[in-house]
Amino acid sequence: MPAPPYKMWEILERARTGPFCEDEPFIMERFMPSLKVVIEKYGIEYDAAAPIPGDDDLADALWQAAVEFFLEVGVLCVDTHRIITFDEREVKEALYLTPGEYMVGSGKDARCLKRRQVEDANPPFVIFSPDISCDEELFSPMCIAYLKEPLADGFCAPILEESMGLRIKAKTPTELAGSIEHAMSLRQAAKLVGRPGIFLVAAGTAESDVGQISISHSDWGVRTTDSRLVGGLTELKIDNALLNKAAHYQQFGCFTGSLTGPIYGGYAGRAEGTAILQVAYHLMGLLVHQAHYQMNFPFHIHYTSGTTRELLWVASASHQAVARNSKLISVSNGFLNAGPATEMVLYEAAAHALASTVSGANLWEAAPARNKHKNRATPMEARMAAEVGHACARMNLSREEANELVLKLLAKYEDRIADAPLGSEFQECYDVAKAAPTQEYLDLYARVRDDLAGKGFEFPY
Amino acid sequence: MELLERLVEAVEDGKDEEAFALAQGAMAVKMDPLEVVDALTKGIREVGDRFERMEVFLPEMMLAARAMQKALEPIAPYLERQSEGREKKGTVVIGTVEGDVHEIGKHIVALLLEVNGFSVYDLGSDVNALDFIKRAQEVKADIIGASALMTTTMPGQQEIIEILRDMGLRERFHVIVGGTPVTQDWAEEIGADSWAENAATAVAILEEAMIEGRGYAGTTL
Ligand code: B12
Repeated sequence: MPAPPYKMWEILERARTGPFCEDEPFIMERFMPSLKVVIEKYGIEYDAAAPIPGDDDLADALWQAAVEFFLEVGVLCVDTHRIITFDEREVKEALYLTPGEYMVGSGKDARCLKRRQVEDANPPFVIFSPDISCDEELFSPMCIAYLKEPLADGFCAPILEESMGLRIKAKTPTELAGSIEHAMSLRQAAKLVGRPGIFLVAAGTAESDVGQISISHSDWGVRTTDSRLVGGLTELKIDNALLNKAAHYQQFGCFTGSLTGPIYGGYAGRAEGTAILQVAYHLMGLLVHQAHYQMNFPFHIHYTSGTTRELLWVASASHQAVARNSKLISVSNGFLNAGPATEMVLYEAAAHALASTVSGANLWEAAPARNKHKNRATPMEARMAAEVGHACARMNLSREEANELVLKLLAKYEDRIADAPLGSEFQECYDVAKAAPTQEYLDLYARVRDDLAGKGFEFPY
Repeated sequence: MELLERLVEAVEDGKDEEAFALAQGAMAVKMDPLEVVDALTKGIREVGDRFERMEVFLPEMMLAARAMQKALEPIAPYLERQSEGREKKGTVVIGTVEGDVHEIGKHIVALLLEVNGFSVYDLGSDVNALDFIKRAQEVKADIIGASALMTTTMPGQQEIIEILRDMGLRERFHVIVGGTPVTQDWAEEIGADSWAENAATAVAILEEAMIEGRGYAGTTL
């Protein structure tokens, strides 16, 4: 079922032969002015009253704006100082060739990862991921805890900072060691839990291209039924190491996810520009990274979170644009302000899942505590997002209904974003040996879930 | 006076051509170049503060910084003639360490330093430790700023300091470190001169450091 890579070599060659451009002019003279032009031309406007906008015209205008912007700007390779450009026909061709679904994982654990529609009644594919680094001794217990989650269709493990007691340094042998430890321990955890073939996205510890390449192995390592990520540079830039990853993933034969997080308040400016850029990143992922799915985490420049009102709008509007106009598979990554075992983090997880699911995205949940504190993530935050995602699909919510609900959720946490509570570390709210949440966290979870039910969420079970 | 206000406004609004023309005009009517630069500096700092308060975003700040540079072009020749006694800001070489491609935070720090009057050489991301030092020597920098966003690239900051020591150059540069996982403790452990949690603090710390006089500005070579 997986489609062949799209003209991979022709496109990669453009990183060597495309128009010359330096970094700063690329942003100042190409990126920023072009974005401004399309925002105005297509009349894109953020509406604070509708974090989940219900307007098809807006979604379609966003798509048009993003295609035009992407064709105008292209993607800069910062190593060669060349711009990879595309013409309209190529974009259409690549979109036409997209199958819209893939079987991922293996054996009884295989699942179909597919594109969703706006207001789709099919539940989202949910990838559980703590999105943070952890102590070496917590790695396996954390993996087991996440893999035990019933709603996990796929899993991405935490990141190691040390391997065999040595501090990992990127691009050195310690990174290779850490990456192997990551891949092997993860596989072992999946087997122990009884999900040996679950779809794995690995390995976050492999930050460099060599790290990634060293763990492709159909027995102990990352398999062709698994996936890895390739990022972009801020904004619409790539480098040779990223291209190495993209090329290797294709040649090895695993699934590639394009990892992009346009920054609200950064070069893209406000919500409108961030949303257009997020859609344009889907095209970069498809054409440059040759990715099978687009994993995205638009985030706030000061908070590193995606659950402010503006960022919920960005996620919702951009996913609607993609879902209505292409067969691309989107996976929406939640970045939450508060840390584990707080009420706030659960409301944030719910809001992110709701806005994403009703807008046509799958889920990748979740990065608590602004994605920057070691050990500060647990499966419970992801569980909340997954349960809400399933609920709002099964309820077949309209965007208008979803918007009413999301406003209620925002009312629960919006005023606390600037000084969100850090919450607990994994080992503080989990029984590490059993890889199970403490009664206290379970009770807190139940209270929030009951409150959500009271607000109108109908959980399937 | 009117002219000066318009000039400051053009810079704050990021209108580079207008800023250039108005600055030319200011020099033509023989305004005091120092006074003009002071007013512009105040204006651009205000833009930096607005960014911190989230009233403007990165594009506006970048355009303002560029308009500031444009405005300084016609003023510079006059300034050089009477530059004695001017407050001296430092020269900074900044980059993200080897293996690390996270660069937006570093870029914001670079920009805010620039709008506050430092000369800034931004080496980009994934920069080898020795390259920081070579470049710092080349441009006679006072300050080396190293950003690391991953625990696995933080050793790159340490390497800069170790190589400086081994080259006998440690005292010559003020080394400031930053980035999400970097803490005051880490800065102390590796023997950095300072750490800043965000761009605004970095500016304050480095202004202070320049007054105390570490680096080329303070040493006689
Ligand atoms: C955006 C982002 C990306 C983007 C980066 C785009 C770019 N070119 O900049 C992309 C998608 C490419 C990316 C890729 C990866 N990332 Co990343 N990323 C982030 C994220 C979410 C935000 C960083 C950011 O831009 N913040 C916004 C800016 C404004 O804030 P800031 O950088 O902190 O800067 C401020 C201060 O720190 C300070 N400061 C910064 N630099 C300096 C320097 C000096 C001298 C001073 C004084 C101050 C200072 O001032 C700034 C302004 O106030 C962080 C999580 C986080 N919360 O930080 C993860 C994070 C840094 N990434 C991480 C990882 C693992 C990766 C990948 C390996 C993922 C993968 N599997 O491929 C790759 C790494 C590739 C590589 N070799 O570098 C991890 C690192 C974990 C670890 N080992 O420590 C983090 C912490 C996420 C997490 N918790 O897991 N990432």
